[in-house]
Amino acid sequence: MSHASTYPMASEPGVEGGAPILELDHVVKRFGGLSAVDDLSFAVRSGEVLGVIGPNGAGKSTVVGLVAGALSPTSGVIRFEGQDIGRLRPHQRAHLGIARTFQVAQPFAGLSMRENVVVGALFGGRAPNRAAAMRIADEVLERTGLTAKAALKGDELTVADRKRLEMARALALKPRLLLLDEVMAGLIPTEVELAVRLIREINESGVTVVVIEHIMRAIQGVSDRVLVINFGKRLTEGSPQEVLSDPKVIEAYLGERYAKNSRAQGAAPLDPTSAAAPHEEENNS
Amino acid sequence: MSSGMPAQEVAAENATVSAPRESREWVWSLGLGALILGLIALVPVVGDQAALSLWTFIAMYIVLAQGWNFIGGFTGYAAFGNVAFFGVGAYTVALTLEHKQSYWLGLALGVVIAAVFAFLLGLPVLRLRGHYFAIATLGVAEALGQFTQSKSVGATAGEISLTPPSLNYHIVGKLFFYGFLGVAFVTLLGTAWLSRSRMGYALVAIRENESAAEALGIPTYWYKIGAFVLSAIPTALAGGLFAYWQLSFDPLSEGGAFDVNISVAMVLMTFLGGTGTILGPVLGAIIIEYLDQYTTFNYPGIHAPLLGGLIILVTIFLPQGIVRLVRELLRSPAGVKLSYSRRVKEGVRRVARFNISNGV
Repeated sequence: MSHASTYPMASEPGVEGGAPILELDHVVKRFGGLSAVDDLSFAVRSGEVLGVIGPNGAGKSTVVGLVAGALSPTSGVIRFEGQDIGRLRPHQRAHLGIARTFQVAQPFAGLSMRENVVVGALFGGRAPNRAAAMRIADEVLERTGLTAKAALKGDELTVADRKRLEMARALALKPRLLLLDEVMAGLIPTEVELAVRLIREINESGVTVVVIEHIMRAIQGVSDRVLVINFGKRLTEGSPQEVLSDPKVIEAYLGERYAKNSRAQGAAPLDPTSAAAPHEEENNS
Repeated sequence: MSSGMPAQEVAAENATVSAPRESREWVWSLGLGALILGLIALVPVVGDQAALSLWTFIAMYIVLAQGWNFIGGFTGYAAFGNVAFFGVGAYTVALTLEHKQSYWLGLALGVVIAAVFAFLLGLPVLRLRGHYFAIATLGVAEALGQFTQSKSVGATAGEISLTPPSLNYHIVGKLFFYGFLGVAFVTLLGTAWLSRSRMGYALVAIRENESAAEALGIPTYWYKIGAFVLSAIPTALAGGLFAYWQLSFDPLSEGGAFDVNISVAMVLMTFLGGTGTILGPVLGAIIIEYLDQYTTFNYPGIHAPLLGGLIILVTIFLPQGIVRLVRELLRSPAGVKLSYSRRVKEGVRRVARFNISNGV
């Protein structure tokens, strides 16, 4: 995949090219006095992998909640394949083909990994019966490399396995749009590589993917385009290379002074290999 | 329970990992449950009148605990007002009989009214979660009892006194015993069916994590209401049997048709046996009701503290209930085939760790 060239960086919803599968139109989400998402508009094109990055508290997970239906927008319109979904319940959106993972993994603790996935196949995946759901579950577990651990219970899993289970469950829905909320946070580099490969495979099988991440290496390796949000607003949007060397982005992440210094040195401070790239430690208690 | 390690160790040691096979636990549970109910069915043959009365109560509580298990066990919603359905069943039968209508009509009407009531009540209260739901259901049941008392149905203050069925006294006792036991058996079958059904998966998913369940496409609200209605049906049936068996009762005094202790008993029994399991409510109801009556009879002065002490011990040492404890003891952790002795050894370690992590 040559990410940058496949998708030109037109940014207004529906302006050109690849039909948008998801559009957010001036969406606002307020919690009391705080606008977690503040007049945010963007579109996800059918078939792409869109990376979404932003500093802590930028509103990334709120966006996932708004699209998947756990939250409803204070104002603005959310369209999925042209249909206004802003008032639909989460399960209705799952039936339309929107699957999500949770930033803090939410396994069914008392169920085996396999049963966890069966639930996804049985409901969101619309398997006609248990036998069919089990078949789907076994396929998905195979695909996500979890077959050997299928009998482990949700509360017996390592962080990495929980994250993979989140993905497996979402895949069992046979989604058209997959929202991945920091599925790579807290993973060691080899696990990140596995996850990136898996996301690419999922995308190549025809699923549009939105990846929310903090790890720059992962975002760069997997995204066709990257959207940066800060304080609930769109900061910029473009190819991974463009975005990661954008002074505005550097400033948002690391502060103004760091941005000036690095400009003076002519280095790209958000170089994915640089140890300075900020990680968000996941709180998994 | 944070016990990732032992399972992983075992998995690593054992190279041959068998493909996960579908659990046959439901077959064992159903078989054992049917066997237990079958043995209870012999009570009228081998026991005296006192034994019959005791085991009729036990059969009634098996039904009630099984009914509570649908909403409280499978779905994980701590309903503390299920006696409302019991009372609705009992008073519907009483009023039907007082209007000189057939008992069967009253029984059927009681079930229908209780089911509709559960549906309508579920619409608002199943939007609540956790303690709020528990308190709302508790309040509704109490209010219904007070309402019945104030309305002077029957004689004054909701007191009911029915004419006994025109049959031999001994036969009637046995009929009601087998009536309760029959309902218990059908509810057992229903529970086994539920545990393997689409709806069962939905309810358990809601219990384990409601947000995740919703995100995976489960219309959680409607499934919860379904579970509530399902839980009302056997409960109302038991209430209807209770009314014509006891003949005289009132709403709120001890042993009354809206007595809050009945709600509490359903919860305790299901917890002791194992919530969300097929066999749990049956075992829990037998143990608690038997001990309750035994201590009442033999240690009348101190029966309440004795039972209270038992409840405390169970909560501390057996919080997951009997069936889940046995399941935990016998589970081979990572889908690996282990010998029974090895499994039990692992299981004892797991359960000990669970209790330690609970502060025991």
